Amino acid sequence: MHNLAEIIYQFLAGRFGQSALLEPVFTLAAYLIPCIVALSLVSVISGLLTYFERKVSADIQNRIGPNRVGPYGIFQFIADGVKLLMKEDIIPDAADRFLFRIAPYIVLSSTFLAVIVVPFGGPFIIADLDIGLIFIVVVSSLVVVGFLMSGWASNNKWALLGGIRSAAQMISYEIPAALSLLTVILITGTFSMQQIVMKQGPWPWDWFIFHNPFTFVAFFLFMISGLAEINRLPFDFPEAESELVSGYNTEYSGMRFGIFFLAEFANIFVSASITATVFLGGGNIGLDPYTSGIAPQLFMVLVFFAKVVPLCFVTIWVRWSLPRLRLDQMMSMCWKYFIPLSFSCLVLTALWLLAFNGNGVFWRISG
Amino acid sequence: MTNAAAQYFRNIKDAVRTTAKGMKITLKYWLREPAITIEYPDRLGEGRTADDIVQDRFRGFLRLDSSICIGCLQCMKTCPIDCILITTEKIGEERHLTRFDVDQSKCMYCGLCVEVCPTSAITFSKRFEGACYDIRELCISHIHQPAPVAKPKAKEKEG
Repeated sequence: MHNLAEIIYQFLAGRFGQSALLEPVFTLAAYLIPCIVALSLVSVISGLLTYFERKVSADIQNRIGPNRVGPYGIFQFIADGVKLLMKEDIIPDAADRFLFRIAPYIVLSSTFLAVIVVPFGGPFIIADLDIGLIFIVVVSSLVVVGFLMSGWASNNKWALLGGIRSAAQMISYEIPAALSLLTVILITGTFSMQQIVMKQGPWPWDWFIFHNPFTFVAFFLFMISGLAEINRLPFDFPEAESELVSGYNTEYSGMRFGIFFLAEFANIFVSASITATVFLGGGNIGLDPYTSGIAPQLFMVLVFFAKVVPLCFVTIWVRWSLPRLRLDQMMSMCWKYFIPLSFSCLVLTALWLLAFNGNGVFWRISG
Repeated sequence: MTNAAAQYFRNIKDAVRTTAKGMKITLKYWLREPAITIEYPDRLGEGRTADDIVQDRFRGFLRLDSSICIGCLQCMKTCPIDCILITTEKIGEERHLTRFDVDQSKCMYCGLCVEVCPTSAITFSKRFEGACYDIRELCISHIHQPAPVAKPKAKEKEG
């Protein structure tokens, strides 16, 4: 058994009996149930992230932040979501109506497609694809299509500029992000996310971030290019408030805007969970995720979230510390610094593996 | 190492150093500094009222200490917009204040009446919450029943 879908399929087949008639129903249920669960889970997580974003920014700026809805204002995001649902959905006269309507869903679905291969610890992964990591790189760049679409369809110069900027930025930063992920692939020899987790260990010195000095650098390169890919400050050019009003989503209102917002915060979670999985050992506690009991499996989920949540907080913390770069600075940072650095990390990791027979730096120390 | 290459690595070092410095500062504010927000009006904290949150020099509604008012009417005369109305009557042997109205809806808080008052009977309070449904509620009567005016202090004789 390699994923949640197969486990559910086995369960259904065992419960209702194997038959050619029910087989497609089982397959559909086995894939739909985990997808719906993951979709709602990630929606709630991104809602909570909006709350924590506001709370952390308030703490950093000596304010209080939302504190009226529920204890400590924890239900503020629900109130916001209800408000967005109730709002009028305006489509500008000059807009391309079809593209305008479809763009938010493309952005959202490309984000949630990446969730499919995120291992939430233990057997909780929707589909453990053999090309997991490449799949993430591919679908996360689909976001660009949605941004460009919304920017073009709005028929608004700010929105169009935002869309073009997002295309320029995300395509550029795709390269260092993919290259720094590739350093880990050199070590594991597999793209499967579950395999990557299983090849690491429960302790920090088993993680790939401390495998050798170059993966350590690659971790930070990936973190920063991840910030650029999810349009967070200091790289939020597509929606730079002070320059472009609100960028590609200027003309959007109501729940369509809400979907962009949801996708943005879901992206933070996805980016953090990829970082945690690839570099920080994911939900590995030294046990086999499939054969161990339910208690260790739930503990793996806990370990996974214990690594993801701090990374999300770092993303928020960076946003409220650093100012936005200039567009040309952002481009030169990518092409002059990130791509050469990630390339040299890749090559040097390869040399390291050749020199030390595929072992990490702590293997050298412990002998 | 050529000059340009040295500059390249210096740039990287600078970027890392300055970013770390900025993030350290925000981390300090995040974890250490308490919020300074005052949750006006309903969560001011134990025993605090709205009057406590403004500064001591705040020019709020005018306040009259009728026990030391000598009824000289100087505040009424000096008021540029005539928002103070005072009448005095002689009841028996003594002068009494029978009316001391301040129309706070007109008052522009210039402070001339406070400056001119010889006994500091009229002063600024810190009250600022003037919202009401009828503008006439803001015309505040300080005297509800005739009160005898205070005697002005006799000038101390020299020598």
